[in-house]
Amino acid sequence: MASRRRMLLKVIILGDSGVGKTSLMNQYVNRKFSNQYKATIGADFLTKEVQYEDRMFTLQIWDTAGQERFQSLGVAFYRGADCCVLVYDVNVMKSFDNLNNWREEFLIQANPSDPENFPFVVLGNKIDVDGGNSRVVSEKKAKAWCAAKGNIPYFETSAKEGFNVDAAFQCIAKNALKNEPEEEIYLPDTIDVGGGGRQQMSTGCEC
Amino acid sequence: MVGRGGLTGIVNIMKRTGAEDLGDFYPIRPDCLADTPKPRFKPRAGKTLSERRWNAAFSEDGHLDIEKVLRRIQRGGVHPAIKGSVWEFVLGCFDPNSTYEERDQLRQCRREQYIRWKAECQHMVPVIGSGKLITTPIITDDGQTVIDSSINSTFSDKRSIQWMRALHQIGLDVVRTDRTLAFYDSEKNQAKLWDILAIYAWVDNDISYVQGMNDICSPMVILLENEADAFWCFERAMRRLRENFRCSASSMGVQTQLSTLSQVIKTVDPKLHQHLEALDGGEYLFAFRMLMVLFRREFTFADSLYLWELMWAMEYNPNIFSLYEKPIAESDKSAESVLNNKLLKQCGKFERNKVKTGCKDQQSALAVFLVASVLEAKNKRILKEAKGLDDVVQILSDITGNMDARKVCKDALKIHKKYLSKAKK
Repeated sequence: MASRRRMLLKVIILGDSGVGKTSLMNQYVNRKFSNQYKATIGADFLTKEVQYEDRMFTLQIWDTAGQERFQSLGVAFYRGADCCVLVYDVNVMKSFDNLNNWREEFLIQANPSDPENFPFVVLGNKIDVDGGNSRVVSEKKAKAWCAAKGNIPYFETSAKEGFNVDAAFQCIAKNALKNEPEEEIYLPDTIDVGGGGRQQMSTGCEC
Repeated sequence: MVGRGGLTGIVNIMKRTGAEDLGDFYPIRPDCLADTPKPRFKPRAGKTLSERRWNAAFSEDGHLDIEKVLRRIQRGGVHPAIKGSVWEFVLGCFDPNSTYEERDQLRQCRREQYIRWKAECQHMVPVIGSGKLITTPIITDDGQTVIDSSINSTFSDKRSIQWMRALHQIGLDVVRTDRTLAFYDSEKNQAKLWDILAIYAWVDNDISYVQGMNDICSPMVILLENEADAFWCFERAMRRLRENFRCSASSMGVQTQLSTLSQVIKTVDPKLHQHLEALDGGEYLFAFRMLMVLFRREFTFADSLYLWELMWAMEYNPNIFSLYEKPIAESDKSAESVLNNKLLKQCGKFERNKVKTGCKDQQSALAVFLVASVLEAKNKRILKEAKGLDDVVQILSDITGNMDARKVCKDALKIHKKYLSKAKK
């Protein structure tokens, strides 16, 4: 049990309050959606084992509080992040406008060695709401912003319906992995799939 | 599924033995029943403060024998039927040493004050008090009114703008506060919580609104039917907690309590502290939420109420009423006036130990020792299994729904004593 840990990839989810950060994380890790999630206080995380090119990794996903007033905690929580996920609600313009603030705040507080090339992924969530009729941020507009910020990968998701969530997190994992310097990658001699005692495993039905 | 008849049978037996079903007091939404853990708290005959005992603790003109009442609460909590009225006393809304008449007057006075504040808020944002609430911004960052939001744009001073900017955040949190409870199915009840938090943010503009205050306020909204009474109960609770919610660009208020926690663990369990420090956890940020929302996420709804009343009874100081009657700015100090022997008996167990040793430190609240007691309970696992801070978080998340509030409090008192005696040396 107490064997050396599998390589850990740390992912931080940021975005305005109520855009669906907790829901996205839970949909990806537990394949569940609930209307009863409470506001995140400080930060919380879930882990998930992922496989990429025959290798197993532990994705540690940090869900953060959306209210700006918690931002001073960033230094502590963003430390060592391998990828940052920026989430907005396609039905709330302000949450899109704020992406820039979240990105800049992250770069200041996490202080990555190569900020120019630090991997971000942008998610436009809640596309299911009102059959798309209450949408105020177009896909085109979002993609243009992502392109201008150094070709950030962009996904439109619905945490409620589970739409595109897996694809988005696969991309997130891949980018987190790319960010990890090659020499730090090590693998234990034997991979103990399912023996880690973690609650969340990716052995659930993928179909 | 358990057969209905069987369950009712069990409940009936429990009723006869003095333990009753809490479901009647805080009903859970039918669709959430399966996923909601059962509360551990049960009113116990001879231990829990019952309605009969409570009524008997008042003299004819209304003086309350607080000493007797505190003894009961510390032993077994408060029966759900009377929680609201009891909380008003343990939180310091009222002086036990007053008459019914005096309290009625004070209550009336406070209700009127609340109505005046509410009118001020309503004048700026008419949705206040309308039974509805706001979840989208009504004002932009630079103070411009968002089109089609119905607010009175003549209010453009800094305080009003800062307040209006908090309103949608309050709304976003209200609609996801304790949604497993049937109580919040009602839009009217959600609006009651929103109004109270909005008016608090207006009155205490220094703190305004910070996420987590909704978790503190929600039980008051449920326990006290009158909105103004619920507000004042919340306001008194915030007197103890508001420093935790103070935010600056570089830190959050609760970090002061976290550093006290660090000090406590370092003193009573240096080995554990060393281990946590080695994992880069010397800041104890993993305990952030426990302190911010007073264990609301680690305990079921009914159990957190039980924990809170145990805490407040143990922290009770007979001077809090007069202390809290002063405006917020002047009451930041703890109730440190001289206590004679008689008054010392009216202190809760925790407060008494503090007063006796002359400890005036406001930050060493009982909540800090509750976290210490939780950490101590998991001490072996943390030392053995935690190879990173994420493991610490994982180990601590196992406590959710598995802790006995009274045991945690009891252990916290022990740790407090140990800390006081070691810190002296």
